[in-house]
Amino acid sequence: MQGKAGYFVGKLIELLVTLLLVSLLVFAAFSIIPGDTARVMLGPEASEAQVNLLRSQLGLDKPLVARYFSWLFGILTFNPGTSYAYNMNVGELIAQRLPVTVGMSAIAMVMVILISYPLAVLSARKPGRLGDQVCSVIGHVLFAIPPYVASLLLILLASSLFSLVTVGNYVMPSEDFFGYVGCLLLPSFAIALPKIAMSFKFLRSSIIEQRASDYVRTSKSHGLSDLKILVRHVLPNSNVSSITIISIILSDILGGSLIVEQVFNLPGLGRLLLSAISRRDFPLLSGIVFYLAFITVLLYFLSDILAAITDPRIRLK
Amino acid sequence: METVRNNKYRSPEASAFYTAGLILLGIVVVTFIVSLFWTPYSPEATDAASKLLAPCPEHPFGTDNFGRDVLSRIMSASKYTIYISAAGVAIALILGTLAGIPAGYFGGYTDKGIMLLGNSIMCFPGILLALVAVAVFGASVTNVIWALGLVFAPTFARVCRVGTMEIKELDYITHARVMGVKPGRIMAMHIFPNLVPQLLPATVIGLANMTLFESGMSYLGLGVQPPDASFGKMLSDSQAYIRVAPWLVIFPALMLVFYILGLYFISEGLRVNLAKGGKR
Repeated sequence: MQGKAGYFVGKLIELLVTLLLVSLLVFAAFSIIPGDTARVMLGPEASEAQVNLLRSQLGLDKPLVARYFSWLFGILTFNPGTSYAYNMNVGELIAQRLPVTVGMSAIAMVMVILISYPLAVLSARKPGRLGDQVCSVIGHVLFAIPPYVASLLLILLASSLFSLVTVGNYVMPSEDFFGYVGCLLLPSFAIALPKIAMSFKFLRSSIIEQRASDYVRTSKSHGLSDLKILVRHVLPNSNVSSITIISIILSDILGGSLIVEQVFNLPGLGRLLLSAISRRDFPLLSGIVFYLAFITVLLYFLSDILAAITDPRIRLK
Repeated sequence: METVRNNKYRSPEASAFYTAGLILLGIVVVTFIVSLFWTPYSPEATDAASKLLAPCPEHPFGTDNFGRDVLSRIMSASKYTIYISAAGVAIALILGTLAGIPAGYFGGYTDKGIMLLGNSIMCFPGILLALVAVAVFGASVTNVIWALGLVFAPTFARVCRVGTMEIKELDYITHARVMGVKPGRIMAMHIFPNLVPQLLPATVIGLANMTLFESGMSYLGLGVQPPDASFGKMLSDSQAYIRVAPWLVIFPALMLVFYILGLYFISEGLRVNLAKGGKR
C-alpha cells in the first residue's frame, strides 16, 4: 500500500510541476511578442496618452512577475481575462466552442476503439495471412493521410456518391442531439482514420507478442478455449500498452480536430484559435493554448494512473 | 557494437518496405529535381482563357480557377515540402542531440531538468505549439521551420537519451573514462556515432511527421505564403471547387501522401532491419 500511494503522490507532484512549466512557457511566449499590444489595438493615429491609458487598463504597465501571477490566478480560477477582439470573457468564449471540439474528439475516439480492436484481434489470429497483410497495408496508407486531406477526400466521396451535403451545417446539441452527432460524424471519421491505423498496429503486435508467451501455451494445454484466453488473458495484458497509446492518440485527435473544423466550417476551438491568431487577440490565444495543454497533461496523468491500477508491475518499477 | 556495424542481414519484409518507399519517395524527389530546371508553364502564370480545365494533353493535371497549370504548381510546391521538412528535421536533430546525449550521460539533475523541459513541450498538441509560434513571430517559411524544429526536438532528445543510457554502461566507455578522456569528447566521438542506427528511423519518420504539420499549417494559411505554391495551400484554395474540379484536390493530395507514405515505408524498413539485426 505504501508503494502504491507513493507512486500516485509522485505522479501528482509531476503533474503540478509540469503544469507550472506549461504555464510559464505559455506566458513567456506571449510576453516576448514583438510590438506594443496597446498601440496595435488603437492604431497608429492614437495619441500617446490614449495608448498609456489603455496600457494601464490592460495591466501592461505592471512588472512581468506581477503580470504572470495575476494571469496564472485568473486562468486557474477559469477567469482568464477579457478578449480584445470579442470583448467577452475568454472562459465564456471557450465554453461556447467546447461542445464541437470535445464532441468530435469523443466520437473519433469511440470510432478508433470500435474499429481498431476487432480488426486487430482478427488480424492477430493468423498473422501473415492475406487478410492480415491487406489490413496492414491499408493501415500504412491511412496512417500517411493527413486528417484534413482525408476530410477533403471524404467530402468528395460523399458528395459524388450519395450527394450528401453536410458541410457547414452545424446543429447545436441543445436543439437536436442526433443532428449534432450527425453533423460531427464525417469530420470525426476523418480525424479517426489515421489513429485507427495507429491503434490497430500497436494492438496487433502486442496481441501477437502476448500469444507467443508461455502463459498462453499453458492455458491452452489446460484446455481453455481460444476466446477465453483472448478475453481473460491476452487482451488485459495488451491493454496496458494501449492505455498509453490511447492517451497519445487522444492528444493527437485534439490537435487534428483544430484543423478539420476549418475544413467542415464547424464553430469549434480551432476556428476560435485561428481568429484569435489573425486578430492578435493574445488573452484569448493564451487561454485556448493553456487549457488545451491542461487537458493533454491531465490525459497523460490519468493514463499513467489507470495503467498503474491495471498493472501492478508499473508502480513497482 | 560489432553486430550493428557488420549487419549484412536484410529481411525480405524490410526489402519490400524499402522498394515501395523508394518508389513513392522517388516520384516526389524526381518531380522536385525536374522543377528546379523546367516546369511546363510558369507556376504563377494566370490564363483567363483556360480556367478550371479538366486534365487534357496540354494540361495533364488540369488548371485551377486562375487558369494556372496544376502540374507546374505541384512541381514547384514539392520544393517547399522537401525544403521545410529537411531543414526542420535538421534543427530538431541538432537540438535533440545536444540536449539528449548529456541528459543520458550525466543523469541526475541535468537529466531531470532537460527531460522536464522536453516533456512540457510535448504536453501541447504539436500543431498547436507550431501555430502559436507562427502566430507570435509571423507566418514565413523560416519561422515555420524553426517552430517545427522546436516542436520535434524533444522526440530526438528522447531517442538520444535512452540510447546514451545504454551505451554509457558498455566497457569501452568506462575504459575511455579511465583513460581520462573528457566527457564532451566521449559524447561526441564515442557515443554519438553509435546512436546513428537509432536516429536514422527517427529522422525519416520526423521528415514525414513534419510534412504532416507543415501542410496542415499551410492549409490554414499560416505556413507557406501565397503566391508561392504549397500542397496545403493548393488544397485549401481548391476546396471551393471540389465538386466542379476534383482534380484540383486529388493531384496535390496524392503527391503529399506519396511523400509521407514513402518516408513511412522506409522508416518501417529501417525499423524491421534494426529489430531483426539486433536479435541475431
